[in-house]
Amino acid sequence: MASNQIYVGLEIGTTKICVIVAEGRSDGTISILGVGETPSRGVRKGEIVDLATVSECVREALLDAEDKTNVEIGNVWVAVTGSHLRSFNNRGTFVLPEDRDVIIEEDLQTVETNAKEVSLPAANSFLHTIIQSYHVDGNENVLSPVDMVGSRLEADFHIIHGVKTRIQNTLRCIESLKLGIEDVVLSSLASALVVLTQQQKDLGALVIDMGGGTTDYLVYLDGAVRHSGVLALGGDHITNDISIGLRLPIARAEILKIQEGSAVDPQYSQGGVITLKNDPSFHGCEIDRRALDTIIHLRVREIFELIRSDIESTGDGILGMLGSGVMITGGCARLRDIATLAEDIFDLPVQLTRAREVGGATQTFENPQFSTAIGLTKYAMAVSANAPDESLLQRMAQGLTGIFKKR
Amino acid sequence: MSSTTPLRLLVGIGNAGVTVLDRISLERPGMKGLMVVNNDAESLAASVVDRKIHVPGEDLREGFLAIETEFKSALTGVASVVLCGGLGGEIGSFLLPALAALAKANGVVTLAGVGMPFAFEGRHRRESATVALRKLHDLCDAVAVIDNDRLSGGVPSTAAVGEAFGAADRMLQASILALQGMLSTSGPVKITRSDLASVLGIPGAATHFGYGHAEGSNRLHEALEKALKSPLLSIPGKGSALKESRMVLLLLSGPSDLSFAEVQRAVGELERIAGDNSQVRVGVHATGTAGAPLELSLITSSGVSVKLARQSEAGEVAASATPHLAQAHGESSAQGTNAATTPRQAPKPSARTSKVGTKQTQGVLDLENYQRGRFDKSEPTIVAGEDLDIPTFLRKGIKIGTPTRH
Repeated sequence: MASNQIYVGLEIGTTKICVIVAEGRSDGTISILGVGETPSRGVRKGEIVDLATVSECVREALLDAEDKTNVEIGNVWVAVTGSHLRSFNNRGTFVLPEDRDVIIEEDLQTVETNAKEVSLPAANSFLHTIIQSYHVDGNENVLSPVDMVGSRLEADFHIIHGVKTRIQNTLRCIESLKLGIEDVVLSSLASALVVLTQQQKDLGALVIDMGGGTTDYLVYLDGAVRHSGVLALGGDHITNDISIGLRLPIARAEILKIQEGSAVDPQYSQGGVITLKNDPSFHGCEIDRRALDTIIHLRVREIFELIRSDIESTGDGILGMLGSGVMITGGCARLRDIATLAEDIFDLPVQLTRAREVGGATQTFENPQFSTAIGLTKYAMAVSANAPDESLLQRMAQGLTGIFKKR
Repeated sequence: MSSTTPLRLLVGIGNAGVTVLDRISLERPGMKGLMVVNNDAESLAASVVDRKIHVPGEDLREGFLAIETEFKSALTGVASVVLCGGLGGEIGSFLLPALAALAKANGVVTLAGVGMPFAFEGRHRRESATVALRKLHDLCDAVAVIDNDRLSGGVPSTAAVGEAFGAADRMLQASILALQGMLSTSGPVKITRSDLASVLGIPGAATHFGYGHAEGSNRLHEALEKALKSPLLSIPGKGSALKESRMVLLLLSGPSDLSFAEVQRAVGELERIAGDNSQVRVGVHATGTAGAPLELSLITSSGVSVKLARQSEAGEVAASATPHLAQAHGESSAQGTNAATTPRQAPKPSARTSKVGTKQTQGVLDLENYQRGRFDKSEPTIVAGEDLDIPTFLRKGIKIGTPTRH
């Protein structure tokens, strides 16, 4: 098997750790060869809190993936998330020297560097600088300015940054397993790559990846990333709320959430009681379904409202421009009635989505829990197609800059 | 006015006051009008503040009489004074109100920024601090209270004791600078003395304070975000204090290039969080160089007194144990939000509190752990001053029926 075509995505999630081994095809699609998966321990709210335990879990997941695919894993692409990640949009400007009026490749680099001339908090470093659009002498939305004639090149970027040490902890964990790291990628960016088609990116869409510990979201408009964010709230919070509200052990609350949980507005709840049976460690009881619905509904509604108000706070009204509506993925996408609630809050059409444009082990990509990890392999393929040949160490020296090109 | 006499005096009283003034003097070299007053000669000698008044002798009353003239002369030509110190100790509890009375008698606008002791410092200190605070409210135009116990939300429970005091000092420092800054605002966007009085002049009200600073292109957003994360801006079990308040004071200070749009954004954002019942008063004090860090302070108060709030928490503890009480409590708190300014059920719970004594504090801690469940030990998710790890239904005060056991 030609090694340059194999991409391995690793997501260290709060609920599970998963490794996707995929093969890139010449027609631009990817085919999943296999998945390694273990329940996650030592991760809270998307971030590593117990390095040794997480390393052990990652090792298990990797061995699982190697067993299933017969591929020896050497280098991985890693997803990162966490409440410390921040984003903003910024414009870089470059005025061409007097003796030259044709834009060259290096100018794109200069304009990107200029856009990054902002003072981040001291502990932070850049994670991604994603191009939105170029402008040449006031000519808006130029796709590829190289070789164009002009005197002034401007470019808008979506810039994502985070606390450097927190990102490094993820890297340390993987390095301790003697694995190479190709790059680190924002989780929601990876998810969006697989759940959205190019057309949806152009029309505009909000991707919400609601996992166990975090909810990551990202807005695409006119084919470019316009906004992104991470909330350290997720399915674990729903479980915790149920556990507190109905006085159930966490494990029991989790089962109840999966089997009976719904984000339905309590006034439309079907009502009645849910009987929880006795088991050796648990004294059975009867749960009022409306109570369960209320707890879940309030939490999920709040998370969506926080996302909405964060996007609205950008002040440019992008929420109203999203022609393709909202895509929900991640483990919580399996929660009943979550789409109806999202429609109510965002006032946009909502779809529950999973990875597209992938072939191979179909069961895998039909599970929204794997969107991020599959997205990593797709990101890997896109970047490898036009990446300059430099190591991650070099990029770390420049401050963890991703080299993600539009399209 | 001669240039040597500053118009505004900032006085640190007692050890806590000296510490805070020292920090200010180190962090803002060139800031004028700083003065420290203490009976501890060593602490005064070590202080970097230029103007010092030593209170002599063992007896504070006699000591005060000895420094009365000196303090009075320091007040000549002064338009306003901000007094700062920790309440609970002897010097803070006695000298702070005494100096406030003196300043007020001399026709000076008198403000105070004071720290209430941590619960672990003992009940005696807390009680003496409460008495001193009441006096201060009678004497001063406005009093900002930093309740150290409420601060502990921002300091991990495993933090060293020194760290907890450090955090308290930093918050006190930021609050008195905010008071000073608000007094200094001038021009079309200013905070008036009556604004200050209507927010900080209510005896027994809890002060809510937030502070953040940032620079760079996104400075306003970052500073606001930091300020909103302040543990002092949240009311336990209720979420952001901004929602409960009638008036929010916002001070933007620092860079001269502060733009109209930034002021507008800050006010807009706060109005959104605070809701329709609250008004935002903004003051701008932009005298720094362009590109200097933007400092943003928020002050507001909630009508329910600190004491009452604590009792209602204690009520919740009892409530969470028996669903019966929970119902009764749910109703009473609903009333409370409708008429937040009327002190309700005051006599009855206070009788209960005195019986429960120190046990009550323990109960409050238990409640917090209980509410956070599995997130007990993890980093809290705080958005706009609300701890979102606490179940949404609890924060919104919605009753959930308990399961029927077989």
